[in-house]
Amino acid sequence: MDARFRRFLALLVAFALLATMAIGCAGTDDTTDDTDTGDGAAEVDFSVAMITDVGGLGDKSFNDGVYAGLENARDDLGVEIRAVESNEIADYEPNIDQVASAGYNMIFTVGFLMTDTTIKKAPEYEDVYFVGIDQFIEEPADNTVGVLFKEHEGAYLAGVVAGLATLDPDLDDRINDDNVIGFVGGMDIPPVEKFQAGFIAGARSVNPDVQVISLYTGDFDDPAKGKEMALSAIDQGADIVFAAAGLSGAGGVPAAQERGALFIGVDQDQYLTIPGSGDVMLTSSMKLLDVAAYDLIKSAVDGAFPGGSIVEFGLAEGGVALAPFHDFEDKISQEILDAIAKAEQDILSGAITVPASRAEL
Amino acid sequence: MERAGKASVTHRLYGLLEQIAPPLVSVVIALAISSLIIWVVGYDPVRAFSALFDGAFGGPRQIGETMLRSTPLIFTGLAVAYGFRAGLFNIGAEGQLFMGGLVAAWLGVALAGLPTMVIVPIILVAGAAAGMAWAFIPALLKARVGAHEVITTMMFTFIARYIVSWLVTGPLKAPGQIPQTVQLPAESMLPKFTDILPELGTGRAHLGFVVGIALAVVVWWVLKHTTLGYEARAVGFNPWASETGGISVSLTTVKSLCLSGALAATAGVTEVIGLHGRLFDQFSAGFGFTGIAVALLARNNPLAVIMTAMLFGALSAGSGTMQLQADVPSKVVFIIQGLVVFLVAAQQLAVWLLRPFKARGGVENA
Repeated sequence: MDARFRRFLALLVAFALLATMAIGCAGTDDTTDDTDTGDGAAEVDFSVAMITDVGGLGDKSFNDGVYAGLENARDDLGVEIRAVESNEIADYEPNIDQVASAGYNMIFTVGFLMTDTTIKKAPEYEDVYFVGIDQFIEEPADNTVGVLFKEHEGAYLAGVVAGLATLDPDLDDRINDDNVIGFVGGMDIPPVEKFQAGFIAGARSVNPDVQVISLYTGDFDDPAKGKEMALSAIDQGADIVFAAAGLSGAGGVPAAQERGALFIGVDQDQYLTIPGSGDVMLTSSMKLLDVAAYDLIKSAVDGAFPGGSIVEFGLAEGGVALAPFHDFEDKISQEILDAIAKAEQDILSGAITVPASRAEL
Repeated sequence: MERAGKASVTHRLYGLLEQIAPPLVSVVIALAISSLIIWVVGYDPVRAFSALFDGAFGGPRQIGETMLRSTPLIFTGLAVAYGFRAGLFNIGAEGQLFMGGLVAAWLGVALAGLPTMVIVPIILVAGAAAGMAWAFIPALLKARVGAHEVITTMMFTFIARYIVSWLVTGPLKAPGQIPQTVQLPAESMLPKFTDILPELGTGRAHLGFVVGIALAVVVWWVLKHTTLGYEARAVGFNPWASETGGISVSLTTVKSLCLSGALAATAGVTEVIGLHGRLFDQFSAGFGFTGIAVALLARNNPLAVIMTAMLFGALSAGSGTMQLQADVPSKVVFIIQGLVVFLVAAQQLAVWLLRPFKARGGVENA
């Protein structure tokens, strides 16, 4: 028994070592075709890199959103693209150094946690365009753009939907008699507060007496906590819950399913990104990072990069929008559709200014 | 006489070999299996590892980066190792680290204006004291009512993290959008190596690394040559025998866990005053938990902790280059780390694999 096991282990190790050697030989072939990157369709000599935050690619949120914009730019404009993932915050600086010294023309730094690093590193590479996504940079350098979104404008439309839907028992049998809706936020930081303020303002614009229960999880990565918050809002009478809390907010979906309530998603069309959420997903308040990323790459390629400024993406710029109703498409009343159309018009024409903070409500 | 001396030297060398061989074998096997995984997934392991090595040791800047990444791990590794030697599993090093970081961010501003030579030592001592205080309650609970430190130090980690989270979003928040404390003035910061000798070119590496090595030597010396360390080891080895032998187990438990807490907190201090210059929610990449792996791999030997911390630091520093040059996702380093930890935990495997060599050596000696 013992001896047999030993022989087995010896074989295993021998195999592992052999495999490493074999790979070593095989490896050399791969290196050659890797050097000419790009798919041959390169029309312009322009390369774009993005540094993800610690969430990395596959976060179904802003890292993925920005990368989708880069991919669109690659397909349409023929730029070369590259995503570099950060495992920890200490990776931000060396990752920027690496892509900048590798000759990339434009670097996206994604997420407010990278604000400091963007401010520090951009002046070191004057020939490189820097774009800080979700970063409020007070005085951007000439090669830097800070990108912010008017989350409140998209959330306003979601508020209009929720404000009317909670009064409309014909929409769904999960709509109760209480004139109450819920909001679950992540960390209480300005982008999230904008979602909250816009949502409340939108709901009140069509339903002045509506009560909005607002709760914050304090993080973006704890679905269990998001679920607890959503349950507590539902138990207080909310039949529709809007969660702007990243991954934490996704916990609101099972909460709504358990208690028989409806849910409004955030950032992306969460009907598509949260599998099995269709029966409760009324709509989503989208933040279209891909549009913003694409637009900025295009402006840089065209030689019109708005360096030294903060660029805001709102409804007018196509930076925020309401997602389709999907499974609720046939149930949404004409009244709600009309109200959305009117609100959109009023925002675009400037007839209403959507409050961006609780103080402005 | 001469022969006896020679024999004892070889004997000692052999003992050392016996000590370091199993972890070394574990690392080698981990690298081999990682290569296999990288290859199966469709990347080139040779390019991957040469890029990883390049990113970790390819030049002064890269070596500096490895030193930078190793620094917090030396402290948390020492913290966990010291606890283990005293029979305590300080799984809450992360919480003590947070308290150290908190005190550093606060004092760095509060004491602004004093010269670096004064302010930095004060912050280091005060931060360590904060970690000590944070470990004191779990230590007391263990000593008095036997509450297990794995539960209590872990719970205290949550408390520490949420206190910091609340402070950086509320009372200690710097003006602006981001939940973080204000940037520390330059004189509150631990100097970088390049501040002293610019031609070193070691990038962001700071003197915290030197503090770490010095503390490793101190901890080694304390364990080996002081009553404090002797009592800790005795209690860790056999608490009942120690009690019978006149050592107060509860007092030793309290002292050891507090010392462990002080060491862990130093990691938080050096991250704040060495690297970030401010405190925010995610300033630690789980260093307290990685410290457990660092200590295990070092077999709780304080001097070996320096080496194992540098191994993990090198993996972290090289991952970016590996990603960019070999197209291998940087998350692969987590696979390597995981395998190393797994194989170290299953170290009997390596011991067992080495058994034939050991037996033969024994025969030759005789």
